[in-house]
Amino acid sequence: MGRALPLLLILAAAVPPGGAALAAGGGKLRFVTAVYLDDRGGGMRQPEGLACDDRGTLVVGDAGGGRLLRYTVEEAGVKPAGELRAREVTAPIRVQLTSRGDTLVLDGRERRVARFDARGEFKGFLRPEGVPDPATIVPRSVKVDRSDRVYLLDVFSARVLVLDAEGRYQRHVPFPRDRGFFSDLAVDARGTIYLLDSLRAALHAAGQQAREFSPLAKDLRAHLSFPTALAVDGRGVLYVVDQNGGGIVLVGQDGTVLGRQLATGWNEGLLYYPSQACVNERGQVFIADRGNSRVQVFAVTR
Amino acid sequence: MPRAPVTVLGLALLVLASAPAAGEENPFRLKPGAAGKVCLDCHTDFAQKLKRRFVHTPVASGDCAGCHSPHASAHGKLLSAPARSICLTCHEGVVPARAVSAHRVAVEGNCVACHDPHASDHKANLRRAGNDLCTGCHKAVGDAVARVKFKHRPVSDGCLGCHDPHGSEGAPRLLKRAVPALCVQCHKPDSPGFARQHADYPVARANCTSCHDAHGSGTPGILFDTVHAPVAGRRCGQCHNPATAAEPFATRRPGFELCRGCHGAMVNDALSRSRLHWPLADRTGCLNCHQAHASRQKKLLDVPEAALCGRCHRDTAERQARLAALEKEERAAASKSRGEKGALTHQPVQEGSCSTCHQPHASDNTFLMRQASPVEGCGSCHDWLKHNSHPMGEKVVDTRNRNRSVDCLSCHRSHGTGYRYLITFPAPTELCVQCHKQLRR
Repeated sequence: MGRALPLLLILAAAVPPGGAALAAGGGKLRFVTAVYLDDRGGGMRQPEGLACDDRGTLVVGDAGGGRLLRYTVEEAGVKPAGELRAREVTAPIRVQLTSRGDTLVLDGRERRVARFDARGEFKGFLRPEGVPDPATIVPRSVKVDRSDRVYLLDVFSARVLVLDAEGRYQRHVPFPRDRGFFSDLAVDARGTIYLLDSLRAALHAAGQQAREFSPLAKDLRAHLSFPTALAVDGRGVLYVVDQNGGGIVLVGQDGTVLGRQLATGWNEGLLYYPSQACVNERGQVFIADRGNSRVQVFAVTR
Repeated sequence: MPRAPVTVLGLALLVLASAPAAGEENPFRLKPGAAGKVCLDCHTDFAQKLKRRFVHTPVASGDCAGCHSPHASAHGKLLSAPARSICLTCHEGVVPARAVSAHRVAVEGNCVACHDPHASDHKANLRRAGNDLCTGCHKAVGDAVARVKFKHRPVSDGCLGCHDPHGSEGAPRLLKRAVPALCVQCHKPDSPGFARQHADYPVARANCTSCHDAHGSGTPGILFDTVHAPVAGRRCGQCHNPATAAEPFATRRPGFELCRGCHGAMVNDALSRSRLHWPLADRTGCLNCHQAHASRQKKLLDVPEAALCGRCHRDTAERQARLAALEKEERAAASKSRGEKGALTHQPVQEGSCSTCHQPHASDNTFLMRQASPVEGCGSCHDWLKHNSHPMGEKVVDTRNRNRSVDCLSCHRSHGTGYRYLITFPAPTELCVQCHKQLRR
């Protein structure tokens, strides 16, 4: 017994982080349900963005309908809980939820981030303050961390801008020089920022204090066609949405591919040009299945 | 007497030690004067060849065995080493070890593509003289050079004036030196005429080939055939800092903000759409796809449209290329019999015209489609769809999913699937029963 404990410790230390992630996150996605309708029985039209939280809230950016749809996720299923609309928001392409229940929406037409409060009232656009030059910001995506800090993927100025909940500048991390085109970012529980390079099918990461990004996974083309969105779960497993290939590729924190899930199709459980994914602490994975005009819910099983 | 056996033994050892060296010089122990002659006794056709001006040194010295193994060999033409590497046994380092660019035939060891290994009437045993050799493979360049109105003299003098045929240690495209260092060997940037032509910008530090076609063109000054209006009018200061500025080549504004100054209507229209082609809005902006100064392509595109889109959308381009190759193979095989009906590829993609269906800058439709409705989009070419087809349109609900209406993409994928007619299942019946379940067997 006295010798077994050190041996176990040595073995545990020898397992690389990817191995740990593989054990923790290399699960399968099991289809749970699909969401098609709003609270009035109307259908979704090409939803592009969505956000979920641990309290059972789901907000869908119904881009084709030019609106946001709110749902509550319960044991019994996903129930419609109203609609969020604003004249200023006509193309919700990325959605995020804050800890206060606010909804942040990146509008594809305005290319600005709109804010709705927990009651669903439009509260205007996020106005970044104190951002260093260049002044022009073109956000391709937006993410919110557990402290409600806002991360903007600013493709014009080639940087990730970190703002506080009110939009005040905190810091920025420049894009790596060697890059294709970044379509999405994700922020994990430890504040690590991940970047998804769609053209090179590559991932980059920057720790909470890092001033620059480092390569994480250099070329995932063997596993996917054209990745466009990224999500991360509580254990740090990355969910890469393969838009053209209709699938999800799971990647560990060391860049190891943990597996590919789902496939292209029209039936429930299959994806047709998916556009964004969200994972909550309950192990539920929500996918905006744009081509099929629905949201699909999966459970991570191991 | 005791010294004699030692001397004999020593001499014997000396003979034995020297034997391999003698063997290497004449490994086949040919009689004196027999080298080369022995081979030519049978290979009589070589006698004529050896009269050519330039004869490969081993051939001239009758050392056929320098390259060939006369009895047996594991390699074709009785070569004593693989054909791809035998030349390197003498000509090592022809391709620089740290080449920035290298000629593929040289890297692959296919030296005989350009050189005759025995003899030739052209220097360096080249198979053909001058540019004819190069344009034998680089036909498009040869045709263009022959066609252009304004010629670049070094091109007619010979490709090797600028290019190293094997590889270049310091420049891309086998250039002997990188641009502009190569160009300023002939062109004198300090001359008043040169400075005037270039609006006094210090272009000796710039990339000459961003404006000029080194192989000649149809435009005076051998500018590429499509010239950006400010360049044609020598109004460089419209986009760049003044020529006298510390950074004269820096642009006045970054990304699309610069282009918006003149192309305001187009840029504003793109920015007002709900779906932007995102590279337009990054730091590089319009220059992701367009050349700023001049181009061989219309609309100042960097490269032809198919290659341009395929640079980023590699998965789509590769799939189309794969399907096109398959289609070609099938067509060749079917030439004797009746081929299968139905295309595997989509014609606009094959023709390199992605913009037939997609808006390159922005659109209000998903995937930057020109038309909101696939029925309208496809119908702009396939017009029979509008009067003779499966029921389609907004009012026809897809039985698999009530949020979807039936349209062309319910059954087809426009970039190809690997199945005939671009359908999504191997057999039409398999596709139809997805909705018409009552017909499923």
